[in-house]
Amino acid sequence: MSSKTKAVKAPVEGKKTPLAAKIFLGVVALYLLVPFLTTLVYSLFIEWTDVLPSGFTLRNYAELFTNSTFWLSIGRTLILCLVSVAITIVLLLLAMYVVVAVNRKLGRFMQFVCMIPYALQGVILSIGIISLYTGTGTILSNRMFMLFGAYTILVLPYIYQGIRNALNAIDANMLIQAAEMLGCGRFRAYVQVVLPNIVSGILVSSLLAESIVFGDFVLANNIAGTNYQNIQVFLQANMARSSGLSSAIVVIIFLVVAAVTAIVLKLQRSSQNR
Amino acid sequence: MAYIEFNDVVKRFGDNTVLDHIDFGIQQGDLVTLLGPSGCGKSTLLRCLSGLETVTEGQIVLDGRDVTNVPASKRNIGMVFQQYSLFPNMTVEQNVAFGLKMKKVDPVTIEKKVAEAIAMVELTGKEKAYPASLSGGQQQRAALARSIVTEPAVLLLDEPLSAIDAKLRKALQSRIREIHQELGLTTIFVTHDQDEAMVMSDVIQLFHSGRIEQAGSPVEVYTHPASEFAASFIGSYNQLTGAQFSAISGSPVPAGHVVAVRPETIGIDRTRPASTDDGYVVPGTVVNSTPRGNVLRYTVRVGQTNLLVDVLFRSFHMFDPGETVYLTLLKHDCLVIPENARSAA
Repeated sequence: MSSKTKAVKAPVEGKKTPLAAKIFLGVVALYLLVPFLTTLVYSLFIEWTDVLPSGFTLRNYAELFTNSTFWLSIGRTLILCLVSVAITIVLLLLAMYVVVAVNRKLGRFMQFVCMIPYALQGVILSIGIISLYTGTGTILSNRMFMLFGAYTILVLPYIYQGIRNALNAIDANMLIQAAEMLGCGRFRAYVQVVLPNIVSGILVSSLLAESIVFGDFVLANNIAGTNYQNIQVFLQANMARSSGLSSAIVVIIFLVVAAVTAIVLKLQRSSQNR
Repeated sequence: MAYIEFNDVVKRFGDNTVLDHIDFGIQQGDLVTLLGPSGCGKSTLLRCLSGLETVTEGQIVLDGRDVTNVPASKRNIGMVFQQYSLFPNMTVEQNVAFGLKMKKVDPVTIEKKVAEAIAMVELTGKEKAYPASLSGGQQQRAALARSIVTEPAVLLLDEPLSAIDAKLRKALQSRIREIHQELGLTTIFVTHDQDEAMVMSDVIQLFHSGRIEQAGSPVEVYTHPASEFAASFIGSYNQLTGAQFSAISGSPVPAGHVVAVRPETIGIDRTRPASTDDGYVVPGTVVNSTPRGNVLRYTVRVGQTNLLVDVLFRSFHMFDPGETVYLTLLKHDCLVIPENARSAA
């Protein structure tokens, strides 16, 4: 009898587990959102010296939205994200073609090279790049190009991991061989057959890379400073002026990154559905 | 002159020789099976013919043309892989049309040929389906349609049915055989399954350690194994050393040879049959019996040797463990073959 009771109860307990998991995840999400929510509240009120804030205002946002320097720094940051991530993706896709279709033994070498940036501190990377290229008289001595180059290096390991995992998941080499047997050249097979199947992986890794570039201060400040001010450098420049204004900048950074994330995830979903 | 010729082909990976001087030909329109255990080199030979692997030494000739150094995409060879390798982002229709597009066939002809190929593999109605939504058998049929639609000079099948359940596998074996007969395509089939090789092939090339152990029709290879390995790999031959066979039959066996006897050629009776000059009648004790579908396999102890005996599974013809029986081994069914020797085909 008791065993019967247990047998009936088991599925009910099984149904309860996801709810418990949901509650747990909700609590964790709330905990993680506390800094953002606090910053949001701080940016919307004049004072917060008691339990509750007082003096609701949109003044900080109004000031930011009418400040062209703010919009320029947002634009620069987005351009930095897009260009550096795009350069890295193109370079890695070409390199991975060689690894997948020409010489698989190069895979280990590629992995080693792409993992090096993990070990590089931002300060060391920026100083290294500045001392290497400043005064060379080439296009690379331009601070803006240096910054693009630095971010290309910074995001290399993240995008490499994403592309490599996606290629492994679809057995890219086998797909290329199958296409070859149908009269397709290797590179064409890579472009027409392999790449459409790893779009999802590329999008996810570029999302990660984008958030890293968006959040960087060290490289942007050391290499370009106010010459090519990104949003983090703009934030640092305004922190001393007003804490409410700084909070508003942080909220907007968060929302922009969230919007980019949502767009990429939507693209990923539509790619997977296809 | 054969349609496909392997002339002294050698393939090495580092110090490991995977193909050791392979030299044989395949006639146009034949369905040839490369049969052998894992790692014997059969798939490597297939990949060398396809152009996906280069040969270390030797020459491959296809329809009178030396293709040894021709890229895979230029050989006009179709191949079905073990893992299907359908393009996940394309529908069945798009997968099948891919090879024709590469050949720059006009769209109207592509549409017609794709529909024919899909109908041939009985996938009509699944044209718009993506590979992920198909079963293993359906995916394999789509891969087959994709390979035959381009009308290749040769069709290569690299263990295409190994990941499919037994019932479906049998149906697909028949379908592949039918398609081969309909199209008259020269087809090379790689498998490690001797039953599959028997069902599918015009000719079997039995591989062992990078060399061809024996070649012949399924009946020839089954009834006259050329070596101890062939006997052990094809069917379930009883293999007796010279001493074991002499102890049972009283007849001598030449040195360096073993005697192979197929289980279904051995007669089994409760009463001693009349002695005959054509064979040996020996008493034994039933050790156990194992049902194998329509066949019942007995293990019978004769002296110090266990012999396998296959009989049709009929209720009036059953023996119990421990029962004394008499086995009849006909002389012409006792094949004297070289011990661990290789015989070139």
